[in-house]
Amino acid sequence: MTDLTSVFHPGAEPGAADEPHTTAVAGAPVRGGAREVLTFLARRPGLVAAVGWVALVLPAAFAPGLLTSADPLAASPADKLAAPSALHPLGTDELGRDLYARVVHGAGLSLKATVIAVLVGLLAGSVLGLLAGFLRGWADDVIMRVVDVLLAIPGLLLSLALVTALGFGTVNVAVAVGVASVASCARVMRSEVLRVRHSLYVEAAHAGGARWTRVLVRHVLPNSSGPVLVLAALEFGTSILSVSALSFLGYGAQPPTPEWGSLIASGRDYLAVAWWMTTMPGLTIAATVLAANRISRMLDGEWRHRG
Amino acid sequence: MKSSYRPGRRGRGRVLAAWLAAVPLALAACGQAGTAETSAAGNAPRAGGTLTFGLSTDPISINPRGAGAGNDALYVSRQLVDSLTEQDPATGKLIPWLATKWEASDDARTFTFTLRDGVTFSDGSPLTAQSVKDNFDDIVRAGAKAPSSIIYFTGYKATEVVDKLTVKIEFTTPNAAFLQASSTAALGLLGPSTLARPVEERDVANVVGTGPFTLDHYTKNSEVVLKRRKGYGWAPADREHQGDAYLDSVVFKVIPEAGVRTGALQSGQIAAIGSVPPQNVQVLRSSGYTLVVRPNPGNVFSLTANESRPLLKDVRVRQALAKAINAQEVRDTVLTPDFAVATSILARTTPDWTDLSGALTFDVEAAKKLLDEAGWTPGADGVREKDGEKLSLVTTWLSNFGPNQSALELIQQQLSKIGVKLELQTYTVPELLQVYAKGTFDLAWGNLSRADGDVLRTNYSTAGNNYYRIDDAGLEDALRGQQSTADGAERAGHIQRAQKLIVEKAHSIPVFELTTILALSSKTHGITLGADSRLQQLNDAWVS
Repeated sequence: MTDLTSVFHPGAEPGAADEPHTTAVAGAPVRGGAREVLTFLARRPGLVAAVGWVALVLPAAFAPGLLTSADPLAASPADKLAAPSALHPLGTDELGRDLYARVVHGAGLSLKATVIAVLVGLLAGSVLGLLAGFLRGWADDVIMRVVDVLLAIPGLLLSLALVTALGFGTVNVAVAVGVASVASCARVMRSEVLRVRHSLYVEAAHAGGARWTRVLVRHVLPNSSGPVLVLAALEFGTSILSVSALSFLGYGAQPPTPEWGSLIASGRDYLAVAWWMTTMPGLTIAATVLAANRISRMLDGEWRHRG
Repeated sequence: MKSSYRPGRRGRGRVLAAWLAAVPLALAACGQAGTAETSAAGNAPRAGGTLTFGLSTDPISINPRGAGAGNDALYVSRQLVDSLTEQDPATGKLIPWLATKWEASDDARTFTFTLRDGVTFSDGSPLTAQSVKDNFDDIVRAGAKAPSSIIYFTGYKATEVVDKLTVKIEFTTPNAAFLQASSTAALGLLGPSTLARPVEERDVANVVGTGPFTLDHYTKNSEVVLKRRKGYGWAPADREHQGDAYLDSVVFKVIPEAGVRTGALQSGQIAAIGSVPPQNVQVLRSSGYTLVVRPNPGNVFSLTANESRPLLKDVRVRQALAKAINAQEVRDTVLTPDFAVATSILARTTPDWTDLSGALTFDVEAAKKLLDEAGWTPGADGVREKDGEKLSLVTTWLSNFGPNQSALELIQQQLSKIGVKLELQTYTVPELLQVYAKGTFDLAWGNLSRADGDVLRTNYSTAGNNYYRIDDAGLEDALRGQQSTADGAERAGHIQRAQKLIVEKAHSIPVFELTTILALSSKTHGITLGADSRLQQLNDAWVS
């Protein structure tokens, strides 16, 4: 069976109209040496900054101890509401806690929630889209009508309703945000599947007697997942915003555990006396969202189409 | 077009705006120099004009009996209704208002009021003994639909009209706190046109009283507009100005965000704001705003133990918590000097308060010793444990007072030093009532304002809701004792005994007193707070 596929693999028929999509991630750095990579990056300082920022934020999420040794919960009333300084790079809050330590430790919960949200949206959306596009018929109708209904409800509103039903907590917020993004993933996946399922190599696999599950997993899924993965990277940015929005409204972790959204919320009453309490976590969120968007643009074939 | 900058009219405006914005900053930099607690009122009061007041929450219901949004709702409804008596904020004593004199029987079951002659409701009907009877019967009939008022009517028997201006209220059980209750807005008298309507129709309209203002309109989540009542002539003696109010109208604007409220005052859009957040007090004070400050009477902010939980049944654990909380540090860190460290479970401004600060000392070593004695040993992660169980306590709280969260986070840190873990859980009011009813909490954070020691009975009596599952015969005896006697000195003795028992047995751990803070622009004068530390009727208020 594998032999048959390779015969009809895109490389063998470069002129085919429905050339299967190869994901940029997989196809990127194969061609071209280190020099080409450097030129590519040198022309895109924004991308370098984005990758650099993410490289800084990710360790904060999973090993905050690497970036700060301060305790994010230790109150020190004598140092309350101190402006940013060498000792406290982002200042201190109303109890004298180091804001830098709180932002770093807050990255953990906020980014883990975002990852869960994106995974929920990506997995559930992909499976639904794949089934709808591949099976067609009544399965397609049922799934896509449900997706239409989901799309009709504004995402944040849907998340709010879900988190109210599920109860407070970081994981619940993540699931609620993830479910709200299922619909768009399912749509993109379905359209890709519809494109791929009539291509020659898929029909050949069918003709060769492959089971439909095998055709689905070996041929349709890998060739239709590219745009969905790019969407997931883009979704990462919007999910950070949604997770932070729900946390800002108080649906996230209970105090004193820091989250980016709740840090902004607790600082807003102090805006007149301590601007850094909202501004610093706010800038952190903005930078992370922008970085995620920039990287998702890179994944969307920027390397392949480089000039 | 070239983009050259021409300092035209708009440009000058912008420069001026920048200067104006810089002025408060400069004043703030001067620090203490500009404190203006009493702004230069100087000139005589002027009649006319409109006062715009920023409220922190939507009143929800302006029916003084209703389940409105607490203080902010009462700020509004107090302007519409008068009460039988007035509690003088300066002395805490009751003085005549709609009743010229009153009398309580020795067993505190019968109260006779003699009404002032010539008082009318704003719908034109006269105030008579029958009006009082209709009002009180209406409250009892409404029951749970009049939550703020019904709590004062436990054991209500009947109201008897003795003659046109004399009315007698009878209870089957003693109710010594009823006299003070007669001064609250919750028992303010409503006119017949209001009473004729079902309770549900009195939330946003149809509230008619004898007060110095009448309701023009109330738009939910936006504003309440009141107009001056013509021919008002029965203000109590603690108001400087008798007769019609100075102001033509009062507009209460709903501005929930604290920063926006402060900003609206600073930019001159509104003349006065309530619920000034502590962190803005210094800035406002030093830039020339008048602050109206009054400590709230009643139950101070305290942590109350749920004694049905095995962990807190042990009095030593509760006492250890009390000793490990550094109330002074909490006050100094999250509040301002306007707020006092608690000296008893009652605030200093409550009648019959007694100073128990000697029993409320901060002593970490003593706290550790108490926990050692109770068998709680430090665990590996620093949290104490006993028989495999961690000393971890779920604490409920509401976000109705801005600094609550910061205060609790600090207390959490203080308690972690003796190996006690505090888990904070916040709820909405209806959710919290369910949690209380089910008893699924260890500690509850909160306060309750009322200018009478009877507030302790509401919170800690086993006969009431008893949310905290307190089982203390001595305390119950004191709480019933104060309710059963009309003799002031004897009643004070009971209330003081109750405070002592609550503090010494650490049924509830007092931390700090709530203080109500209003901020007024320099053109606003004569706004005061009543004995309950809520906005007083605006008879004396005027704008220049």
